Amino acid sequence: MNGLTSYSYAPLLFFAAIGAGFAVFSVAAGALAGPKRYNRAKLEAYECGIQPSPHAEGGGRVPIKYYLTAMLFIIFDIESVFLYPFAVAFEQMGLFALVEMVLFILTVFVAYAYVWRRGGLEWD
Amino acid sequence: MTVGGAESALFWIAGPLAVAGALALLFARKAVHAAVGMATAMIVLGIFYIAQQAEFLGVIQIFVYSGAVMMLFLFVIMLIGVDSSDSLVETIRGQRWAGLLLAAGLAAITIAGIGKAAFGTPRGLAEANKDGNVSGAARLIFGDYVWAFEATSALLITAALGAMLLAHRERLTPKATQADWSRERIRSGENVAGLPAPGVYARHNAVDTPALLPDGSPAELSISRVLRARGQVGTTGALTQVTQEIEHEVGDESDEQATTRKDDDA
Amino acid sequence: MTAALSSVPAADFVATKVEYAAVLPMFIVFGMALVGVLVEAFAPRRVRYPIQLVLTLGGLVAAFLVLVLYSRDHQAKTAGGAIVIDGPALFLQGTVLVLGAVGLLAMAERLDSAAPDTFTQSGSAVPGSPQEAAAVRMGATTTEVFPLVLFAISGMMMFPAAGDLLTMFVALEVLSLPLYILTGLARRRRLLSQEASLKYFLLGAFSSAFFLFGSALIYGFAGSVRFGEIAKAVPQVGGMDSIAVPGVLLIAVGLLFKIGAVPFHSWTPDVYQGAPTPVTGFMAACTKIAAFGALLRVLYVAFEGLRWNWQPVVAVVAALTMIVGAVLSVTQTDVKRLLAYSSITHAGFVLVGVLAMDRTGVSSTMFYLVAYGFSTIAAFALIALVRSSGSEATHLSQWAGLGKSSPVLAGAFSFLMLAFAGIPLTSGFTAKFAVFGAAIAHDGTWLAVIGVLASAVTAFVYVRVIVLMYFSEPSGDTAVLTPSVLTSTAVTIGVAATLLLGIVPSPLLDLAHDSSLFLP
Repeated sequence: MNGLTSYSYAPLLFFAAIGAGFAVFSVAAGALAGPKRYNRAKLEAYECGIQPSPHAEGGGRVPIKYYLTAMLFIIFDIESVFLYPFAVAFEQMGLFALVEMVLFILTVFVAYAYVWRRGGLEWD
Repeated sequence: MTVGGAESALFWIAGPLAVAGALALLFARKAVHAAVGMATAMIVLGIFYIAQQAEFLGVIQIFVYSGAVMMLFLFVIMLIGVDSSDSLVETIRGQRWAGLLLAAGLAAITIAGIGKAAFGTPRGLAEANKDGNVSGAARLIFGDYVWAFEATSALLITAALGAMLLAHRERLTPKATQADWSRERIRSGENVAGLPAPGVYARHNAVDTPALLPDGSPAELSISRVLRARGQVGTTGALTQVTQEIEHEVGDESDEQATTRKDDDA
Repeated sequence: MTAALSSVPAADFVATKVEYAAVLPMFIVFGMALVGVLVEAFAPRRVRYPIQLVLTLGGLVAAFLVLVLYSRDHQAKTAGGAIVIDGPALFLQGTVLVLGAVGLLAMAERLDSAAPDTFTQSGSAVPGSPQEAAAVRMGATTTEVFPLVLFAISGMMMFPAAGDLLTMFVALEVLSLPLYILTGLARRRRLLSQEASLKYFLLGAFSSAFFLFGSALIYGFAGSVRFGEIAKAVPQVGGMDSIAVPGVLLIAVGLLFKIGAVPFHSWTPDVYQGAPTPVTGFMAACTKIAAFGALLRVLYVAFEGLRWNWQPVVAVVAALTMIVGAVLSVTQTDVKRLLAYSSITHAGFVLVGVLAMDRTGVSSTMFYLVAYGFSTIAAFALIALVRSSGSEATHLSQWAGLGKSSPVLAGAFSFLMLAFAGIPLTSGFTAKFAVFGAAIAHDGTWLAVIGVLASAVTAFVYVRVIVLMYFSEPSGDTAVLTPSVLTSTAVTIGVAATLLLGIVPSPLLDLAHDSSLFLP
């Protein structure tokens, strides 16, 4: 079993190595090959847009609108947690699981309909 | 309990990474560093789960925590600004010491408990992973625990309702369109051509930077009044100075300006 | 629908059978909640309130009728063991449905105006801001509270009927989440309400974590989360008490928090004070019923074999709850906080019944919950009517002389206070008699003695309120509003039930006794 385990990790390690190598190569190549003319504008976080302010009023609080977006994102993220095992094992479980999943999605879709109709998906 | 060669190698490489990430989360002063540390710890944990044949848990760990929750943290940080560090002032006196003491006590109990425990032979892993770990989880979710699964949808709807009720300001009047605004401007006869756009030269076109009038004074109308109320209006003086410095750095400066700068420095 | 389709088996996956007759009441409530959300999405603002009121009340009544006429004869362990519809489950579900409907009547109060009286019209606006004023002017509604209440009720129905720890945890969350939101939506004193909501949410999340941690330990001990399997594992698995006992106690902590037992009670006064008053009544009655039902099932079905380990701990908690609740209620100057401490004391009394560990324990606990539920919903509905300069007058000094200015309200409130104190001819007396009797019959005499002493202390508190209403001169501009038919009905039902259960308690006592057997 140990032999099998170490073999089955080989592709994972291989891809990890390729990924790491590519990242290192990209950063290093840019630094080595590109021209170096530094000025302050290039070191700024944004070339346009509002500068992130360290001492924004009210301690730099997040607009509440953001919370709504985050919450809706989490809701549909959780939904996809259930979709993943369903998709993997769908063939074994047949119609019953499909019906259950459709019921679940329809139920969550009710929440979506509410949010959409009430303008929760509009940023402004 | 034996661990295979590859698995122990993975553990000794990834384990320190996870611990380092967790410590970074605790001790980093800057929010971005803490977030990166947390992401590292989360992803390494996901790798551990997969290595221990809990593929479902591992994938969900990376998917939900590293993917979603981390994204949200970064979103927050982006909106707050990367330089902000939290205030470390205690609101309750002695809270930190009491917390440390309790944490030490809990750690002592946990370590004592684990130290005393006898690890038996793990049972049921082969059985649970017979058709693959994810399929096994699916059989439980859609089989024995299908009721709890369906009931979870009530939680998701409640969460959406709650978020809307507590965070969403419903629009009670129709939103004014561009045409409406245009008509309004013509009717009032003020700023018929629209308000001046913000930005100084080509240097900065951010909305918080006022446009400069020909005489060099900032144009108040070019800045949104929301930003003014928040006190987030940028100063043009600093910007023109920066521009001059940049011109100096790239060697694109007239002699006249260079002289002025020298005078300023002196 | 799924039953017909599940006749197509695939591989060795066995589709879970659901006994729809047994769970139909839960389906009705949940389905109505979904319809309610759709109404919120698609119906125009003006018609939402009447539609929601009819839908919600209709759903609750329909679910109750189905429960009494149909599901009662289909007791079963169903959905793969996740749901157990047995006597106690049916009794408590029925109680939650009735009290939920009564509580909803009080929550729906509008005092003959077009705007809600209980709930804010704009939960997201800063209190006192122009946005809030605009929302009021434009006639915004918060009719989402109706589906939220239905979701909470469906969780409360699932909680005592859960057959395993996982389902119980999901039910705990389903019932808690809507309550956290409802707490933060008071129309008046918004900041207090929001603070209460946040406190409730944070502490509730803590207690859920305790419950989960305990469940994990028990799963490690028994190898299953089903209560039946756990009960079988208790005598078989030896030498693992160091997992099992902390597991039981952590699960108990999660449930005792919802009940509001000392030392897990600290949220109760703040939340009861900050929440919209009719919501407080609903929480005090229905959350307690659901949580005690779950506690009964966990302790009686799953961990009966470990009782020598947990029983002393729960007994100490019961004693502390009665003592602390009674002593602290003496110093209260706010009516809502006073009733909050009173509800803590009552939780202690009910725990005394739980500790009897046989059928009389179950039946006396369930009877007490019904009696207390009716009285407390009516009491909070009455508190919501006493106003001073546009806000609710909850300070005790503002209640001085109400006996003269509004004799009906003062009379009803005094009667409910007497029921809380346990005076004969009220339901409070019968209920206390039942739980203390059960305790004395099962070695719980010392608890009964503490209970009687605590009752005496709280009686002093309640009588002080009555004296204040009748024998003090009115002060300030306290006024009592004339309620619409909704609140009047709720109060009438509550007071009538309090009286009836005091005079002729035997039908309900018999019903509670007949429904006191758990399916293993």
